[in-house]
Amino acid sequence: MSGLANNLSFYLVVSAIMFVFGIVAALSRKNMIGIFMGVELILNAAALNFVAVKLLQTKAAASPTQDGAIFSLFIIVMAAIEAAVALAIVLRVFGVKRSIDPDGMARLRG
Amino acid sequence: MTTNISLALLIPLFPLLAYFVQVFVGKRLPRMGDWVSLGAIFLSFVAASRIFLSMFNHFDPAWVETWHFTWFDLASLKTPFKLEIGVRIDNMSSIMLFMVTLCSTLIHLFSTGYMRNHHGEPEDGYRYASFFAYLSLFTSAMLGLIISDNLFTLFMSWELMGLCSYLLIGFYRHKISAANASLKAFMTTRVGDMGLFTGMLMLFTLPLANGQVLGSFRFDDIYAAIQSGQFNFTIGGFHAAAVIGLLIFCGTVGKSAQFPLQVWLPDAMEGPTPVSALIHAATMVAAGVYLILRMFPLLEAGGVLTIVAYVGAFTALFAAILAIKQNDIKKILAYSTLSQLGYMVMAVGLGAYQASFMHLITHALFKACLFMSSGAVIYAMHHEQDIRHMGGLRKKIPITFACMFIATLAISGVPMFSGFVSKDKILVAAYAFGILDHSQHFFIPLAGFLTAGLTAFYMFRLIFKTFFGEPHDHHHYEEAHEVSFNMFVPLVVLAGLSLSVLFTGSLTGGLLGEGDFIFKGANNWFETLVTNASFSTGHGEAWHEHLHHAHMPGMILSLLVASIGITFSYLVFGAKKISADKLAGLWPSFVHKAIDNLYFFDWFYIKILIQKVFMPFSSFCAVFDDKVIDQGAVDGVKNVTQATKDVAGILIDDVLIDGLLVDGVGGAMPLALGSTLRTLQNGRVQRYLLVAVAALVVVLIWRGF
Repeated sequence: MSGLANNLSFYLVVSAIMFVFGIVAALSRKNMIGIFMGVELILNAAALNFVAVKLLQTKAAASPTQDGAIFSLFIIVMAAIEAAVALAIVLRVFGVKRSIDPDGMARLRG
Repeated sequence: MTTNISLALLIPLFPLLAYFVQVFVGKRLPRMGDWVSLGAIFLSFVAASRIFLSMFNHFDPAWVETWHFTWFDLASLKTPFKLEIGVRIDNMSSIMLFMVTLCSTLIHLFSTGYMRNHHGEPEDGYRYASFFAYLSLFTSAMLGLIISDNLFTLFMSWELMGLCSYLLIGFYRHKISAANASLKAFMTTRVGDMGLFTGMLMLFTLPLANGQVLGSFRFDDIYAAIQSGQFNFTIGGFHAAAVIGLLIFCGTVGKSAQFPLQVWLPDAMEGPTPVSALIHAATMVAAGVYLILRMFPLLEAGGVLTIVAYVGAFTALFAAILAIKQNDIKKILAYSTLSQLGYMVMAVGLGAYQASFMHLITHALFKACLFMSSGAVIYAMHHEQDIRHMGGLRKKIPITFACMFIATLAISGVPMFSGFVSKDKILVAAYAFGILDHSQHFFIPLAGFLTAGLTAFYMFRLIFKTFFGEPHDHHHYEEAHEVSFNMFVPLVVLAGLSLSVLFTGSLTGGLLGEGDFIFKGANNWFETLVTNASFSTGHGEAWHEHLHHAHMPGMILSLLVASIGITFSYLVFGAKKISADKLAGLWPSFVHKAIDNLYFFDWFYIKILIQKVFMPFSSFCAVFDDKVIDQGAVDGVKNVTQATKDVAGILIDDVLIDGLLVDGVGGAMPLALGSTLRTLQNGRVQRYLLVAVAALVVVLIWRGF
């Protein structure tokens, strides 16, 4: 295995890039689906961190724990649930307003 | 991985793929994709035939091929959790795979005709595609259950089947009765599944006699633990194997509709007829019996076989009595299924697991034939199901009549047909157990033989009322015509498979000695192959002796009751020498009332158990919430608060707050602040998010990154 794959910061950089892309997407899209896709990216960046740490720690430690893998499983499950709920909301919003522009939904403004 | 294992893995995969194709693109395919499902199950059938032939090549009762892998291994946890799943192919699963794929292929073929109207157009619009999708998923789940080598994947397939039965029984969703029936089937089987699941968890997690947990769902590990006596400990004062065995048996009681959870099966007739055929023959109810056949050593070790036998015998007898008074052609068959399932469970309880398995297979074949024939009758009669409106149909639909007649001969236990062989084995075992071995258990053979007579009686009632005599509804009678090619081919094939020679290798079942076997080297292949040397039947040495002695009287008795049933049925419904009304008048009215109300089981469950026990309990909870929590605690606090408020209001509120703070600090200042801050609360999600991110950045920088 090459040195790159054993270097934790390599994973962290990829994850950071994903995280930033996710933030930018969530902040700038004018489409609720796009925002949720950004949120998914953020979640996956976090999951990637966990898996990477778990992987390298498995190689290093004599008795590795599975915490990282379990955590990323939880993240995946949570992301799936979030996607389901989010899509349901988007569908309902579209049914009411015929648009999924988040700026259009400002009925609770102060 | 051997060829057989790879094939076995493919078998459930084909229908599963067909399910996904049907769900997503089914309605856009030509013919709405019925050929996708049919082709997939046919491929499974080819693969299953290959395994079936391989079984004959080995011809060894101990033949078994297993393959498994570790799915989960969380060794670092405090309590290690390791889950191994895999595939087990032995004689029992090969025969089962062959039967299920064959029945299912034929049922799919039949559905391509039945689910279309008389002009060949899909009956329910786009739902025709969904129907085939559900059929595929149902079959796939059943096949997955058969090849499982562990309780875990078995349970997954088991629950998947529960879901499919819900979808298919309620397929005609515009009918309220169908919607209720599907819910009832789902909820009732769930009660049994709770037992099965609890049993499985106990098996997996409880410390055994040697202090270790079993930590495995695989049958091999369970059998090994039973053989080394690891289940000789107690749970709450009862033998562990007995407790776990009975809990697992609960699953069978639900799925195979045994007493007292039998209420869902007759209602399941609300589904389309091919679904009834699938549920009653190849899948669902067969799964329950298959489960206790697999867990037989556990039931035996727990010494609960006699309880199982009583449940089966009781179900067999009481369902047979109910079948006599039914007038709906499908309901009669539904109760006959209940009663035959009772036979199978009873046979397991008697230790005659070979007979039980044989009856499972033979029953599946002739019951699929009966159901599809009844479907053909219903189709020909334009969805008329009441046998009082039929009659004389044998001239109109001769092929359907011939097939249904053969299957009826089989279920009634007429020699030369498959039902005779398997039922005879069960009845002989019942005779040996209840009369020769333990005379205190005389109820079991009594119920067995009575049921055999009643079965012949009500099945021939169905035949005479439907196909003989004068037509009662001339309009429907004139319009009735033989069903199309794709609908009668399945009937003919299944009727052919109802011949006993295929199961025994002999026309007379070996009565005339070795000479009359047709396939040399395959004498009585079924029983030879299915006998598992490691299963102890739980009876002493005298058992085989008794079984041998019981053979002749058992067979003669079973022939006698079947012929009495058929003759009686002919006299009442065929020749009409005895008036059916007079016969009915012989019984006191409470008997009729009990039968008409299905022994008040539905009444008991709905009116008493649900409305008088569960509903009051939930309303008690509601009242408790309302009176104690809401009115007591919440309103009590409110009253105290109110009193305080009244006192404080004048002093603090009016003077201090209103005068000074509100008008002064609260008047001018918030107005200025509010109009500034309200721009933050602009209701735009992304602005909020931006603020959050900005705050995060500030915190990160402030904390020194």
